[in-house]
Amino acid sequence: MSSARQQILSAVAKALPGKKPDATAIAEEARLFIGDLDAVRPALPLPNLTECFLQRVEGSKVGATVGRVASVLELPDAVARHLAARKLPARIALQPSSSLTSLDWSAAGIACDGVIDDGIVVGFARWGIAENATLVMHSASDAPVLLNFLPAVHIVAVHASSIVAHLEDYAAAARRAGDPAPRNACLITGASGTADIEANLVLGAHGPRELHIIVVDDVAEPNA
Amino acid sequence: MAAVTLTFKDRAKAALANPSLKAAIERTAGTAEKNRTAAVSRFAEFEAARERGRAIKDHVIAHLGHYLEKFEKNAIASGAKVHWTQTSGEACRIVTGICKTAGAKRVTRSKSMLGEEIGLPHALDAAGLERVETDLAEHIVQLAGETPSHIVWPAMHKTREDVARLFKARHRQAPASGEVADLVASARRELRQKFLSADIGISGANFLIADTGAVCTVTNEGNAELTTTPPRIHIVTAGIEKLVPSIEHAFILLRLLVRSATGGDITQYTTFHCGPKRKGDADGPEEFHIVLVDNGRTRMLAQGLKEMLRCIRCGACMNNCVVYRQIGGHAYGGAYPGPMGSVLTPVFDGLAKSRDLPHACTLNGKCAEVCPVQIPLPSLLRGWRDRSWREGLEPSVARAGIAGWAFVARRPSLYRLAAAISVKWMRLFRKGGWIKSMPFAGGWTGHRDFPAPQRTTFIQAYKAGKRGEK
Repeated sequence: MSSARQQILSAVAKALPGKKPDATAIAEEARLFIGDLDAVRPALPLPNLTECFLQRVEGSKVGATVGRVASVLELPDAVARHLAARKLPARIALQPSSSLTSLDWSAAGIACDGVIDDGIVVGFARWGIAENATLVMHSASDAPVLLNFLPAVHIVAVHASSIVAHLEDYAAAARRAGDPAPRNACLITGASGTADIEANLVLGAHGPRELHIIVVDDVAEPNA
Repeated sequence: MAAVTLTFKDRAKAALANPSLKAAIERTAGTAEKNRTAAVSRFAEFEAARERGRAIKDHVIAHLGHYLEKFEKNAIASGAKVHWTQTSGEACRIVTGICKTAGAKRVTRSKSMLGEEIGLPHALDAAGLERVETDLAEHIVQLAGETPSHIVWPAMHKTREDVARLFKARHRQAPASGEVADLVASARRELRQKFLSADIGISGANFLIADTGAVCTVTNEGNAELTTTPPRIHIVTAGIEKLVPSIEHAFILLRLLVRSATGGDITQYTTFHCGPKRKGDADGPEEFHIVLVDNGRTRMLAQGLKEMLRCIRCGACMNNCVVYRQIGGHAYGGAYPGPMGSVLTPVFDGLAKSRDLPHACTLNGKCAEVCPVQIPLPSLLRGWRDRSWREGLEPSVARAGIAGWAFVARRPSLYRLAAAISVKWMRLFRKGGWIKSMPFAGGWTGHRDFPAPQRTTFIQAYKAGKRGEK
């Protein structure tokens, strides 16, 4: 539509003379680069993805802590234990997802009327990625983006069955699950940090100061 | 700014005379260099990944038109508005135009080197908008009224002591102490309300994903998402070389980018933004604009600088550059410093204004060695030197000197005579094997001694040796 568009495209075409392959040939070539991925990404240290994920969180590279529960029903107690251990108030804001709001938080002594901004938020990750202990949050009506960025303390549950090995496996799994491109896909690895002053890493830049991850082992065989 | 009118030599001289600058650069670039080396040694597949990353970028550049159109189509389908701009001025006008149409007052900006390249901070200020830089380092640079001195650490030239003084003077509530953690907390406090009350958020893009139309940002602080989510409008400014075919291709490059930049394996936040808020979404911008910027890139494609379009802006070349480590980023005088900046600045500013930059290089090859996408930076810099000579931009003294040398060098007997005389002349000034000062050589001996030559020239010694053999 715009003349700038035409001029840029014709400048590109002029700079790259020769016959132009069709879209299928280009796509074919592009696919070659995402084949044989194990040759270009780090091998995981353990065969079990959940173990890998947990080991990675506890390693020095990710600014986060981790817990593990057998079933989603145990989440409120696990959150209560974490808050008590960190001497934090038992008042949280919940991501408005039915898998969280349907749980009995009051039985665990937790009030769910906390503030989001600089407060404590409990959410559910869509996927986990073992490679770097990354959590993937997809925006949706029950998953506001800002819930991941405004709290001071972010507590995120993730199903062991939704932990994949590498970054590319998340992309493939999301496509298979039928949600290829949400409006906003946030890959979160540890609490917010900055190394902008003299390259010293400090946590709690603009996003959460603390990230606590709770892996929910599902009843079925994990990572089946 | 006054500094811009100075020559590169003036700026470099001033930088060399500033001891606090040297300390600041060494603390950050030294740490970055060390961390990158460690990260690469832990990543056994690094060389293969690097080869793959280069191939992906070359593939996109070879089919740039195809990918631009594909990205545009998918971005529009996601509800984004796509703007094409050929020059920095055009790009700035589009952005400020969107701000004016929206009646915006406060604009938050998440660090983008492309924004610096096109002069967007200045354009926003000139349009009367309140510009809030949200990246910690950009916040420091904005408060100090300066420009970035590094593409990953814009405030590399500041020590923590400098930042403490600045925040104490400029933050509404002074930091609790000069400790880095307290300085970070102070910036968080200062900026929080501005994030939430901005009318427009502007970000750059680390990758443009062709098959979805999404824009990828990579940060540690979370400031990109806080910049782009609360305001009513999100504007992305991105160079046309940022395209990748799919999210998988972006991930291969992401591993290289983060390890090369900071030595981390991944940043805290890698976010894919795709279009405006959708029906039922709890938050997000109502308008999503993507401003695609050429600004010399198609010229680079046509004029033998194609390889430079691979650059993923990691900053490893400058962290490992002996010249950058001495003079810092400001001395280069452009948005991009160091080796990659010395290749890019002549594209934007013209070689006549920036011919000193390709010359300010020892050609030690370290930048090419660490570049995660194998850009032959020394060859590209030599290309600029060559062009500067051909276009007659070299100073007349240098041209006359080289012409004189060439005249003598083409006449072997004259060359031998001149060499023999020079050796005798130089030996007149030797003291204990070194020349500490010599007429016409102050440029060298003013800073370091020169080893005194042997009694004979190479050819004389060679001939003497031949005779000895017989």
